[in-house]
Amino acid sequence: MHPIFQNWKALALYVAVWAPLGAMLGLLISVAGELSAAETAAVIVPVVVVLALVCLAPWYACRALPLKSTPAGRLLGQHLLAAIVVSGAVLFISRALAHTLSGMLTGLDDRFRSASPVLAAMVAMIYLLSIAMHYVVIEAQTSRRSELLAREAQLRALKAQVNPHFLFNSLNSISALTAADATRAREMCIQLADFLRTSLRLGERASIPFGEEMELTRMYLSVEQVRFGQRLRVAIDIEPACNECQVPALVVQPLVENAVKHGIALIDEGGEILMLGRRLKDELRFTIENPYDPLAPSSRSGIGLVNVRQQLEARYGNAARLEVEASPDVYRVTLTIPAGIRGKTTA
Amino acid sequence: MKAIIVDDEELARRVLREYLGQEPGMEIVAECANGFEAVKAIAEHEPDVVFLDVQMPKLDGFEVLELIDRRTAVIFTTAFDQYAMRAFDAAAVDYLLKPFGIDRLRAALGKLDRRSKLDVNPAVAPAELRNAARPAGEYQERIVVKETVREGAKVHVIPVGKLDYAEAQDDYVALRSEGRTWLKQQTISSLEAALNPKRFIRIHRGFLVNIDRIARIEPNTKDTWIAVLTDGAKIPVSRAGYTRFNSLIGG
Repeated sequence: MHPIFQNWKALALYVAVWAPLGAMLGLLISVAGELSAAETAAVIVPVVVVLALVCLAPWYACRALPLKSTPAGRLLGQHLLAAIVVSGAVLFISRALAHTLSGMLTGLDDRFRSASPVLAAMVAMIYLLSIAMHYVVIEAQTSRRSELLAREAQLRALKAQVNPHFLFNSLNSISALTAADATRAREMCIQLADFLRTSLRLGERASIPFGEEMELTRMYLSVEQVRFGQRLRVAIDIEPACNECQVPALVVQPLVENAVKHGIALIDEGGEILMLGRRLKDELRFTIENPYDPLAPSSRSGIGLVNVRQQLEARYGNAARLEVEASPDVYRVTLTIPAGIRGKTTA
Repeated sequence: MKAIIVDDEELARRVLREYLGQEPGMEIVAECANGFEAVKAIAEHEPDVVFLDVQMPKLDGFEVLELIDRRTAVIFTTAFDQYAMRAFDAAAVDYLLKPFGIDRLRAALGKLDRRSKLDVNPAVAPAELRNAARPAGEYQERIVVKETVREGAKVHVIPVGKLDYAEAQDDYVALRSEGRTWLKQQTISSLEAALNPKRFIRIHRGFLVNIDRIARIEPNTKDTWIAVLTDGAKIPVSRAGYTRFNSLIGG
């Protein structure tokens, strides 16, 4: 079906455009054939209704003959032929109508005949214009879709960045545990596998409940706690109302990874990562704090923060915020996103 | 053979301990969990080989390398640090990628044996190696220096904001900070490359100055000037340095 029937606003606009177009057509016919207003209306109104419907047909023709890949000769020939056929058909219908009505309106048949060339030319022109309009619409739609596809691909690529540093260090911890504590080595293998599997599964989805995201975060931290031992301590305080909020998949996990890699890992005695989740009126606010060494060579945020920011921007525009505060010893990132509202999926 | 293991992760140290325990004649004289301990232990034990992690608290592996005797044989260890790996490859420095097997460790030790004891390792200056391992557009935020005290070695960290100026002195740079002067074996050019050019300016062949410390610049001779610092110190300014200063202030 023509997309105009799926959008009542576009349909109303289309009908509205035909009102002046029909009036103009009527005026031309009445002048050319010296018809009275009533005679013109009697013939033109049904003709315009038919024409308005026929002028939607190029939607199919234009998609069958794409501008870029169709040879110019074929493109012109096919559409001109269609315009002539449409013009002929409309002429035939209107002549038949005039003939039928000439019983009541004397001489209509003859007078209408003299207006026929004008009508035929006008119809052909309107039809050709409609073809041009359809090409414009199709072109605009294609470019918007490719933009959406590109953005989605970008989101997927950002999510796919499982930090290799984390992965290889975890494997090294497992390698260390194998000889002395095989049971713990196996446990860690399983924890790591669970985390990777879950992040792959969640990464495929555009939005997930916040509760699932936090579950992934806990898996991540349990792996890191094997690696860092007592140096990594975690405190989580999330209001239950937060768990149902829809958030972009893997939006929190990179923030936690940052807190470990650029915070805890560079402090001798380690420290505590504090996570808070609050449900405000129509927003979800997530805060993560970690101690850090402001002088450490790589204590500044890495690629993770940039990715999260891009992801939020692509999905929410200005409706989401990511704020970073760095006091002399605490690094705090606050994420505020619209709650409950399902993030627009770009499927 | 005396070895020192430097890694902040207990499990990472454990693997090395396990492997080295299987090597006849190998003795682990110290295990360190951060860069400060490492500098101290290396000065004290003069080991034949140091296994040095790159990312650590307090001092990273590159900074440790800057502060130890350059004849100390070092084998870096890292899980995945593309910048460090690129720098190691460029300087032909041997390194172990975690997790590694005992065969890979033996190969690295074998390479050490074939080397002359007098060779320095790595062959490039530590500061150059550190510069090569830094992503473009990032600069060093601190300078580490070592002081020899009665108990051994003591490490000081100078945040670059507290550095007034550096002066070239043969193979060393004299770093002036908070009323004290620290000597460090490094060329002034490599120090210049490590610091943000918007904050530190090579005002003279032999002087690199913190731009915030310059109170005024006075003419001296026809082609030279004198920079007067906020603490009253006077530093010579060359023609090229004067041009650099003006373009930095103007820009």
